[in-house]
Amino acid sequence: MNILIVGAGQVGFFLCERLSLEGHDVTLIDRDQEQINEAQDRLNVMGVLGNGASAETMEQAGIKEADIVMAVTDLDEVNILACLLAREYGVGKRIARVKSIDYLSRGAVLSKDKLGIDLMINPDDAVADELANLAGRVGAFDVAEFVEGQMQFLGYRITKESPLCDLTLKELGEIRGMYRFVVVAISRGGHTIIPRGDDTIQVGDSIFLFAHKEELPSIQYMLQIEEEQHKGTKRAFILGGGRIGQRVARALEEKNVSVRLIERDQQRCEELSAKLKKTMVIHADGADIRVLLDEGVENADVFIAATENDETNILCALLCKRQGAHRTLCLVNRPEYLDLAPSLGVDACVSPRLSAAGAILKFARRGNVLSLATIEGSNSEVLEIEVKSDSSVINTPLKDLNFPRGAIIGAIVHGKSYDIPDGENQLKVGDRVLVFALPEAISKVERFFD
Amino acid sequence: MNITLTLRILGALLLFLAIALLTPLPFSWFYHDGAAGSFMLAAAISAACGGLLFKFFRTEKELSVREGFAVVSFGWTVFALFGALPFVLSGAIPSYLDAFFETMSGFTTTGSTILTNIEAMPPSLLLWRSLTQWLGGMGIIVLSLAILPMLGVGGMQLFKAEVPGPTADRLKPRIQDTAKLLWGVYVLLTGVEVMLLMSAGMSFFDGLNHAFTTMATGGFSTRNASVAAFDSASIDWIITFFMFLAGVNFSLHYLALRGRLGDFLRNEEFRFYFGLTVGGTILIVLLNMQGVYASFFDNLRYSAFQVVSIMTTTGFGTADYELWPVLCQYLLIFAMFIGGCAGSTGGGMKVARILLLIKHAQVQVYRLIHPRAVKLVKLGERPVDKEVMQSILGFFAIYLGAFVVASFVMAATGMDLVSAGASVIATLSNIGPGLGSVGPVDNFAHVPAFGKLTLSFCMLLGRLELFTVLVLIFPSFWRK
Repeated sequence: MNILIVGAGQVGFFLCERLSLEGHDVTLIDRDQEQINEAQDRLNVMGVLGNGASAETMEQAGIKEADIVMAVTDLDEVNILACLLAREYGVGKRIARVKSIDYLSRGAVLSKDKLGIDLMINPDDAVADELANLAGRVGAFDVAEFVEGQMQFLGYRITKESPLCDLTLKELGEIRGMYRFVVVAISRGGHTIIPRGDDTIQVGDSIFLFAHKEELPSIQYMLQIEEEQHKGTKRAFILGGGRIGQRVARALEEKNVSVRLIERDQQRCEELSAKLKKTMVIHADGADIRVLLDEGVENADVFIAATENDETNILCALLCKRQGAHRTLCLVNRPEYLDLAPSLGVDACVSPRLSAAGAILKFARRGNVLSLATIEGSNSEVLEIEVKSDSSVINTPLKDLNFPRGAIIGAIVHGKSYDIPDGENQLKVGDRVLVFALPEAISKVERFFD
Repeated sequence: MNITLTLRILGALLLFLAIALLTPLPFSWFYHDGAAGSFMLAAAISAACGGLLFKFFRTEKELSVREGFAVVSFGWTVFALFGALPFVLSGAIPSYLDAFFETMSGFTTTGSTILTNIEAMPPSLLLWRSLTQWLGGMGIIVLSLAILPMLGVGGMQLFKAEVPGPTADRLKPRIQDTAKLLWGVYVLLTGVEVMLLMSAGMSFFDGLNHAFTTMATGGFSTRNASVAAFDSASIDWIITFFMFLAGVNFSLHYLALRGRLGDFLRNEEFRFYFGLTVGGTILIVLLNMQGVYASFFDNLRYSAFQVVSIMTTTGFGTADYELWPVLCQYLLIFAMFIGGCAGSTGGGMKVARILLLIKHAQVQVYRLIHPRAVKLVKLGERPVDKEVMQSILGFFAIYLGAFVVASFVMAATGMDLVSAGASVIATLSNIGPGLGSVGPVDNFAHVPAFGKLTLSFCMLLGRLELFTVLVLIFPSFWRK
């Protein structure tokens, strides 16, 4: 595919990296020569210097042949203009990063369609959704839902106390017994592998697995993730009442979580308490641990640090963790900090820009692929693929098909029932297949199902 | 510097060379020249060495800038080292050093030869000699990029390190696609030239060889007297035209083939190159009026051929320019330094760099007159990046520096002043023939062994445009 990306910031760079690795023809437009040079040197993409909202630059970047335009600069107006231009040139898919509410709210005069945009993405909203999703799970640091929420993809960190520690996958299979789930990947020291029967689960690993949502309690029991102490409603603390904090609070309210939202600014507090229904809004500085303790942060199920300041977020998360908060989630803007956080003891870090990029990728790859999730800290992806009637893979046992290396089928869902596959399974038309794939195998997997 | 990765890629390149070494075989069998065995042996040696390197050095690291430089510099050296094998194994060139010089001269598209009797060589070896130039012309690394998928991610590092000119153009977002397009244009133009040369009376063998060495701006011929041996005006004009094309940025050829002919005229470097070539030809025709040639058309034919041949750094000869007035030789020496356009197969300092240097000098003087004026150096419509301008100034200084040092070394081996200087510029700019004892009707056989090594190094320096090779000399390059 020919993909044109406007804006070489964090989002743009991440998209370039992923899409060029998958073998797409990527052209990048930016106004900063240095950013362009950096991208051209490190990635297999072509850079064009200029304004993404000008037709001249767009033509130079080959917009006439482009299949997708992704406008992800941090200026809404440039992104919207770029998409309008793309529509005039007849580009099939147009994606814009838009942060201002005026274009997005329901009553807006300028709707998405009028602006010629197929997907509007707001990094803050994307990350808020991800935070809310993570906060709703116990133990898992990475969660994605597939097949309308029936199947879950979960990531767990293995600690010293974990009963899975030092087990081989074969042994795990024996004690797993009747529970049906499959470990599709182990991430260790920055490398992600697809494990075989004789691979061992070690301390510090992250394991990834597919399971049906009904199996979740039993998996948590197996992993000895204590759920006993919260018999009543779950309790969440959110630090920072900005746009992200507010959105997370609202999402958690809907899940019947008792939310305490801490915000420094008096006026903003009043606004928040007017907008939110059940959330308790607290006017305090996040680093003031006494206020947090008074409100019972030591018994919190989850502490979410979502201020604008990375350092504040990480430090407050660590502080609360030490005081006894069960899990801490952290909003981090700087990409350098993202890999650092797990080693410090923060349970999960999310970045607005990466969340936005993930959402864009998901949208851009829609075709056979119904849904997709990217895995924290690696370039692997989980793909949900529907088996089409003209596909060459139907009605043949899996072991006879030449399934690409570097990828594994985690589950096959037909209607309401599902299979954890072995070599004998056959794919039927309409089945949804969940595949975990390492970066180099992603395009091969897509071709496999074509 | 990741040595494991560098060695692994060198292994892959050697395997690729082994395949290239088999291509002259059909000619050897057809002409029964007895060189087939040496080609097969040379291919086997390359394949064995390459296979061992490729098998034993495994790594998953990605190519960075440093490995890019090392792979390209050593890659070319290794190609010359192993590409020389057929000459030695067949006994056609008994000395390995001579064979190395000849092969390096081939791959770098220089065209300096140590052969005293070219026509006595087995035809398949002559073809191999031309083929080395053809492969080196568009670039062996660029070719491997188009063919070998393993060079995927770090490809831009290699591409930049090999493609001539201050900045590397991209025709397509993916570097592999760009490499394929450039080679496609190259193969197409070569094919057209073979057909035209055959229609003008050359045999298929001579046509193929000369097309290979014209498009590469190499200059190896199958005859002792070079192109003059054919003594045909139409062949001279065909070769002049294609030498001129080979000196142009191949991105422009690609755009022209896509129907955008106007881009030729819109490109400032091309206009300057065209002006220099035509202006140089007119000047030399005028200077040669004083009795060198009887008819005007002969004068035009020989002058144009020599000017284009030197300017594009090809090095074919149809006339001995040492018999021309001294001023003509002086002009040709200038042309030797300038060379072809950026992104062409030509050598030298490149027209774009000279053009920018002149503009830079203009701006400097302008600033003295209007101290507060803001004036940028522009190429076409676009202002030139300051960093690019600085690298050009650096390039110019190092080019002259390399010329001075190498001429000193050549003079130290006992060559006369003119020959010492001319032999260096002829190899540094990848031209082939120089002046004095290495002039258009002489060869490099008499140069002492140490001189041959120095000149081989100059060829590599010139082809890879200094920086790629010179960074390897700095100790900090090798440190972790």
